[in-house]
Amino acid sequence: MKNSIKVERAKKNWTQAILAEKVGVSRQAINSIETGKFIPSTLLALKMAKAFETNVESVFQLEQTDYSKI
Amino acid sequence: MNRENNHLNDRVAIYAILWCLSYVGSLFAIKHLGLALETSIMLTIISVASFALFIYKYFRSIFFMDEVQIKIQMEALVFAFAIGLLVLMTLGLVDLYIVLNPNDWNYRFLVPIFITLYFAGLFIAKRKYNFDNEKLN
Repeated sequence: MKNSIKVERAKKNWTQAILAEKVGVSRQAINSIETGKFIPSTLLALKMAKAFETNVESVFQLEQTDYSKI
Repeated sequence: MNRENNHLNDRVAIYAILWCLSYVGSLFAIKHLGLALETSIMLTIISVASFALFIYKYFRSIFFMDEVQIKIQMEALVFAFAIGLLVLMTLGLVDLYIVLNPNDWNYRFLVPIFITLYFAGLFIAKRKYNFDNEKLN
């Protein structure tokens, strides 16, 4: 799964720390999610999308390899 | 969130240090001071109680962790438990055909072994999830 957290952050001019504060997790957690090392829960993904004022699909997208597992 | 977590981690660390001090102190006193049985039992109870308090604070701190931190803690504990069992199983089997010297191996060695394995697991899990990487901030 890929994500566009970095792009969305850049649009808002937010650091990882600011996003972390808004969604209630640690800055390190945002780094883990942004670099694709950790896939967040639905709740956290929805919180992030809400913080960015967009929908979840704009922030997180399935890749071709993810579809082959379905 | 970070400040709250740091505060919680500091408090858990304080209880961990208190347990370490009481355990090492009790170990030294019981081993070297030739104490009466009642005193030794009391020191053992103090060590157990301080450890119970530390574990209670540790479990409470998990409630305030975010999902990445919880997963890291879980993986560190799974690593320590699995490798610790492996060490115990191996030593148990070896003990059947080679009599191990009590100075080389005894139950007390399990404490540092499990602590070391926990920190090794923590290090591995943090690297896996890129948790301490400051470059991308």
